[in-house]
Amino acid sequence: MLFNSFGFGIFLIVVFVLYWFVLNRKMQQQNLLLLAASYFFYACWDWRFLLLLIFSTLLDYFTGLKMYQAKTQSLKTFWLWLSVSVNLGFLGVFKYYNFFAASLASICASIGIHLSPFTLNVILPVGISFYTFHGLSYVIDVYKNRIKAERNFIDYSLFVSFFPLLVAGPIERATHLLPQVKTKREFNYQDAINGLRQILWGLFKKAVIADQCADYANMIFANSSHYSGSTLVLGAIFFTFQIYCDFSGYSDMALGIAKLFGFELLRNFAFPYFSRDMAEFWRRWHISLSSWFRDYLYIPLGGSKTGTWLKVRNTLIIFLVSGFWHGANWTFIIWGLLNALFILPSILLKTNRNHLEIAAKGKAMPTFTEVMQMIATFLQVIFAWIFFRADSVTQAFKYIGRIFSRSLFSIPQLDVNKAQLLEVIILILCFIIVEWQGRENQYAIEKLSWLRKRGYRLTFYYTLVVVIFLFTGKEQQFIYFQF
Amino acid sequence: MHRFLIKTISFVLMSCLLILAIALIPGYMVNKFSKFSVKKDNTIALFGHSHSECAYNDTLIPKLTNLSHSAESYFYTFQKVKKYLSQNPQITTVLIEFSNNQIDTKMDDWTWGYTYMSNMFPQYASFMSPADFELLAKHNSKYFMNCVGIAARTNFIKALSFNYDYTGKTGGYFKIEGSMLLPSNNPAGKNIKTPSNKSAISTTNIQYLRKIINYCNSMHKSVFLIRSPQHPLYEYRNNEAEFSLIRERYFSDIKFLDFNNFPLKNDDFADFGHLNFKGALKFSAYINQRIINGMLNTVSTASLSQLDNKTVSSN
Repeated sequence: MLFNSFGFGIFLIVVFVLYWFVLNRKMQQQNLLLLAASYFFYACWDWRFLLLLIFSTLLDYFTGLKMYQAKTQSLKTFWLWLSVSVNLGFLGVFKYYNFFAASLASICASIGIHLSPFTLNVILPVGISFYTFHGLSYVIDVYKNRIKAERNFIDYSLFVSFFPLLVAGPIERATHLLPQVKTKREFNYQDAINGLRQILWGLFKKAVIADQCADYANMIFANSSHYSGSTLVLGAIFFTFQIYCDFSGYSDMALGIAKLFGFELLRNFAFPYFSRDMAEFWRRWHISLSSWFRDYLYIPLGGSKTGTWLKVRNTLIIFLVSGFWHGANWTFIIWGLLNALFILPSILLKTNRNHLEIAAKGKAMPTFTEVMQMIATFLQVIFAWIFFRADSVTQAFKYIGRIFSRSLFSIPQLDVNKAQLLEVIILILCFIIVEWQGRENQYAIEKLSWLRKRGYRLTFYYTLVVVIFLFTGKEQQFIYFQF
Repeated sequence: MHRFLIKTISFVLMSCLLILAIALIPGYMVNKFSKFSVKKDNTIALFGHSHSECAYNDTLIPKLTNLSHSAESYFYTFQKVKKYLSQNPQITTVLIEFSNNQIDTKMDDWTWGYTYMSNMFPQYASFMSPADFELLAKHNSKYFMNCVGIAARTNFIKALSFNYDYTGKTGGYFKIEGSMLLPSNNPAGKNIKTPSNKSAISTTNIQYLRKIINYCNSMHKSVFLIRSPQHPLYEYRNNEAEFSLIRERYFSDIKFLDFNNFPLKNDDFADFGHLNFKGALKFSAYINQRIINGMLNTVSTASLSQLDNKTVSSN
């Protein structure tokens, strides 16, 4: 059940009505309803993996309690490691086992030992990386005494499985979401309207920009050996917009849906393509994951308060792990490594915190220097995305090799309807303009200065609805569901 | 909450009305003003898919207009036939390509598979009946709304630009140069085995062929089913028994002009299912002569069956 499907619309209306009109008196009943709805939502993908989700929830719930009750530090540590190892064990089996088996076999083959590795014929449970990280953050926080262990199983389960964030985040923290689960929610008109607005914008990003770009990006990446360098650049640009609008569109919808139920989820994107350096980009891209790695990996490793070489080591580790988190493929690891290499100079030169505010804050237009910085950062991001999108490392290198050839300066050639291609390019340009206008908001159309008058605002929203109806691309699975 | 519900429901209702208006008004205008014209001296219209599209060079057959379109199932042909016949009263005879692959379930994909539906549906959506919409929505609900959006966009642009002329956009003779039929090391095609390609029958396609015939009959047109030449190694010839059975059971009232085994050389074929320019030249000249000789007035089944007995001569 995708957020942008008709079925999900019906599901959302039913849950909303039950939540606010039937079970609105008791918070526990509301929580139970949301949990049941979340499990139903998850079971719509594959009910068998629901058992895995429930097992993971039970494990973290009990280890959390055991840690809280433990009389000695060693016992507490034991429960922590039990939870961490089982959680990562599941992730390892479902997500990484085949990758390690195949990699080992190919390493052995290169030295003359031929193995036929045992591979598992299982599909990856949707959202496993996300709910595993929810659980891990909870047990680590209990271990570190940042929060008390949760005694109410329904509340804890809802924190792990709340359907807007279950399959693709944002990766929530117990310290942020559990208190909201345990507080009676009151309907707030402004929040609900804000939520609907964010859903509309997310839907536009996903259904129009991401799915339209996906058609072209898929075509170019699938036949990359037949295209000129300039066309391959175009393909990489299309993917750059696809992945941003796909994932941030999903996140906007998730945050908007949560607002309808009185919850405020962590922000996941803050206009990353307007970043002026890679450090800023990583503060604005997939914020909930970056901050997770910062808090639970980078800082425990010593963070940036160590010597130069340890800083380099920690940065490399965090980006390699981040790449690997995305998928069991060398392409993701190289993508992580590239990002580490792009960001390291600014960390070493201590310029990584130069741009904490959004570009041209309070101004209409950026300065020439800012434009140049944004373009340079955007080009690095595009370059790294080639590895992320390619099917293999070999394909990525060949793709880049073809880009840096004479054909880079030719006119891009695509065997598609030129009028439709032009429509997509115009839509992307309009999207960039709106994002730029709204870059100081939580999401682009939250509060736009030219939408202050009600008439203009309504016209804009109806235009968005019409554009979504007319320009929706072929429905594609959300990219981050595979992670 | 009350205020929220009222505002949200009003917004949703207004959005639905807006969408309906955007989908229906240009659609209505396209249906009303669309122009499907053929030359005044074209009295024979040929409909079909890529086989007939490549086989009939209508510049060599003065009375005939080839309106075939590749990868077109009868579902979309039906919409086209309605418009051409209603706007071109000079058409007295309708030829409909009926060959082996048109009974295959592949045709279902040509009807509601996303790739085909997203191409064909926007073109013909304005002329469809609610039952036609229902059929597509039932079989591909996931992508149906997406295609409705594409259709609305296409019609919207047509209405904005007052471009309602479909002439030349719905099919026509397609020229293929050269031949990719047989490998260069085996130009005679010896020992090449035809892959088995027997799958289920597309009842939808057969039903829509019947609809086309019924429509033509209601418009008092002479209707013929016609099969253009196919190479002996063409994979879909394997379903000949089912093909004959369906023809006899459901279309026995319609005259069948069978040129399946029309004598052609290997290098007259672009591939096993399609004639190339050279093959089309020979075949079209022959068809033209047969039309002049009155083939469509009195069909001599004897003369046609003679063709069946000839084999395709090899190079």
